[in-house]
Amino acid sequence: MLEAVHLTKRYASLPAVQDLSFSLRSGMVLGCLGPNGSGKSTTVKMLTGLLEPTRGVVQFDGHNIQDNLQAYRKRLGYVPEEAHLYPYLTGWEYLEMVGTLRGMASHTLGIKLDSLLELFSLHPHRHASIGTYSKGMRQRVLLIAAIMDNPDVFIFDEPLSGLDVASALIFKNLVQALGQQGKLVFYCSHVLEVVEKVCSDVLILRKGVVIAQDSVANIGQILGQSLESTFLHLVDDVDTRNVAHAIVEVMNAA
Amino acid sequence: MISLLTDPIRHWWGYYRQRPFGRMVQLFVARIFRGGGDSDTEGIDLGIGLVLTLLALPGGFVSILLLDKYGTLLQWMRGTLNVDPLLMSVPDEYFFIVLSMTVTGGAAVWRWDAIFPDRRDYMNLVPLPISTRTIFFANLVAVLFLAGLIALDVNAASCILFPMVVGATQTKFLFFAKFVAVHAVGVVLASVFSFLAVFSMLGLLMALLPARAFRRLSAYIRGIVVVYLVTLLCTSFAVPDKLLRTTGALPSWTLLFPSCWFLSLCQSWRGRASPALTELARLALPGIAALTVVALGCYAIGYHRHFVRIPELAEAAVTAPKPRRSRVGAFLGRLVLRTPFQKGCFPFVWRTLVRSEMHRLVLTGIGGLGLVLSSQALMNAFAGAKSLHQAALSPDALSIPFILTFLIIIGLRIVFEIPVELRSNWIFQLMLDPDRQECQSLARKVVLTSALPLVLAITFPAHVYLEGLRVAFLHTLLVATWSVLLTNIVLIRFRKVPFTCTLPIFKQHSIVLLLAVCFGYLTYAISTPEFESSALTEPLRMIGLVPVAAVAWFIPHRLDKNTIDIERKLIFEESATRTIEALRLSD
Repeated sequence: MLEAVHLTKRYASLPAVQDLSFSLRSGMVLGCLGPNGSGKSTTVKMLTGLLEPTRGVVQFDGHNIQDNLQAYRKRLGYVPEEAHLYPYLTGWEYLEMVGTLRGMASHTLGIKLDSLLELFSLHPHRHASIGTYSKGMRQRVLLIAAIMDNPDVFIFDEPLSGLDVASALIFKNLVQALGQQGKLVFYCSHVLEVVEKVCSDVLILRKGVVIAQDSVANIGQILGQSLESTFLHLVDDVDTRNVAHAIVEVMNAA
Repeated sequence: MISLLTDPIRHWWGYYRQRPFGRMVQLFVARIFRGGGDSDTEGIDLGIGLVLTLLALPGGFVSILLLDKYGTLLQWMRGTLNVDPLLMSVPDEYFFIVLSMTVTGGAAVWRWDAIFPDRRDYMNLVPLPISTRTIFFANLVAVLFLAGLIALDVNAASCILFPMVVGATQTKFLFFAKFVAVHAVGVVLASVFSFLAVFSMLGLLMALLPARAFRRLSAYIRGIVVVYLVTLLCTSFAVPDKLLRTTGALPSWTLLFPSCWFLSLCQSWRGRASPALTELARLALPGIAALTVVALGCYAIGYHRHFVRIPELAEAAVTAPKPRRSRVGAFLGRLVLRTPFQKGCFPFVWRTLVRSEMHRLVLTGIGGLGLVLSSQALMNAFAGAKSLHQAALSPDALSIPFILTFLIIIGLRIVFEIPVELRSNWIFQLMLDPDRQECQSLARKVVLTSALPLVLAITFPAHVYLEGLRVAFLHTLLVATWSVLLTNIVLIRFRKVPFTCTLPIFKQHSIVLLLAVCFGYLTYAISTPEFESSALTEPLRMIGLVPVAAVAWFIPHRLDKNTIDIERKLIFEESATRTIEALRLSD
């Protein structure tokens, strides 16, 4: 079980996340929603151990992840928000490097890479440099890098960004399959429909604070609305329709 | 009164810079300084002010250093009072000409990728209601503006300081004014020539080659240009003397060095040129004119062929053949690389060295310097030798592998600090254990696998052939041992995966480090071969090097042992040492 216990993160005394607590059990796919600046990325970075919380702890199987970060990361698959990769390495070279750094045996690594590249339709491009890849191809490289060592915990930060329809569908089914296999999945996204479809539970953040946390079904039932309406109801102070009209008015102004 | 003149200019400039064309020129100027390229690279962004300052520094420094040569007091102390300052200044003027050409050419090579508009420009500008012709002219104006700016900036300090230093003994202002004018025009023209030469080469390659071939060849061409520029700089020690001493027709190689044309031009404007120099001076101005025409023509064709066709090129299939893997390399890899850290990072470091253009350029520059110094040593070795045997055992010949290994080791140590794609280093931050101290070992393996094969593959067989097995073995052993010791020294407290950490902050001890490198070079590449040359005839003398080696091994070993754990931690960000640390008790 992955647990965030009273997590707080401040940047030069400005709070990014405050007193955030939740738990992620085996088989659970927890969606994390929130507008820009709500603390999603900070939360993800603390969960991956890239940032140390100012207060509170992240526990995995009852142990603070900071106590043995390497052991935790061995069991973690992470897809970051932006696909920052080394453009002069080929897709194969990059994945081989990640696999080696994860300590995978070279024989297994080669076989797994071949199969995954084939399944993600990257096999014909595996020896071309990443600099020539499209955004979707880079995203697929990141997905392969996250799953290839069969970790127990997955943290996906906007994983569908740039993916084509087929790859996105494959990925959504993959996330559900991972949940069924008993893996722990933390899924950050702006795309509410996907969270609604893929996640079992949802966590809604606003200004670094949890404002709602429950199963997707329950959250909808409480307000008797869809997840999108619930989200807007909870998070946004602005009247989106009015803002859209105001934009059109500015466009039309002489 | 002044405001009457400046106000209309300011008004015109304010109006012009808000026009689409003016905005685009500004955009291109900023882009050329800050870097281009299609990748989302996070290159070294030094800022326009700092770049201009750095470019201007060498000329200023060299001018100040020349005070020693032209100072009247020092001349009096040397007993050389009746000197002709114009004659005396010829070698220095030549040096300033090659310096301005090297710095300007180097700057153009450094910004090679950013001179032409790229895909990012295409995606941002072409959808706007601006014709591609306007984009073409805006970029051209930006390039020409920068060529002029760099030419003036590189030579600004030397144009004032150098004539002041040379004219220190002269009482007439006219001498100073004439010297400034001729020198300034000469060096600025040389700078412009150098910039245009690189620019036209880039345009020519883009005009002639298909996009993919251009991308592949461009790195090699840049390397060749860098080697040429380093060679040009090194000619400053010998060429002026040869030019002045030649009485008849000049040797044909002078045609290959435009620096000779510009020196002749300055001499002929001062009325000091021999008929041969006057002939050579006639090449300078037509040379610049011809190069300008070629540069503009090639730029126009290259622009049309590449920029306008960017969408077609972007659509090309992203496939590449499987690279060949050598079994020997794989075997050696298994033998040398033990841990997952080393197995993962070693290929990364090598691939970065081979594929990152910035790193390749720096290494090529250092390699070019190595080639020049080695060939000079080789020439010196044969100059006074009566036989091949004597030449091979001379300190000069023996110094060649020392020079090369020194430059490789120091060069690699420098390039390890240059970051590449910093935003991509998250994968190392995520995967690596900061407490495992393997960075030194990794860097040592990279350095030694670069330096030692050179020694084993060239030096050993060459000396076996020339001197026999014993000398070859001793010499190779010494070079290899010295390489290992030097590597240990330069990697003291090294705690980063090469290329993944931010640039080091300039520290006060950087100048001390620079002096240490110069001292190291003298000890490593000059004194050791001198000692070795005498010791090879009597091998027992070699024992004298054992204490030196022991000290060189002991010091880094001891320093490493005394390093506290927190200073061994893997880092991804260089931070300045703070005098006062805030405790942040409120957090």
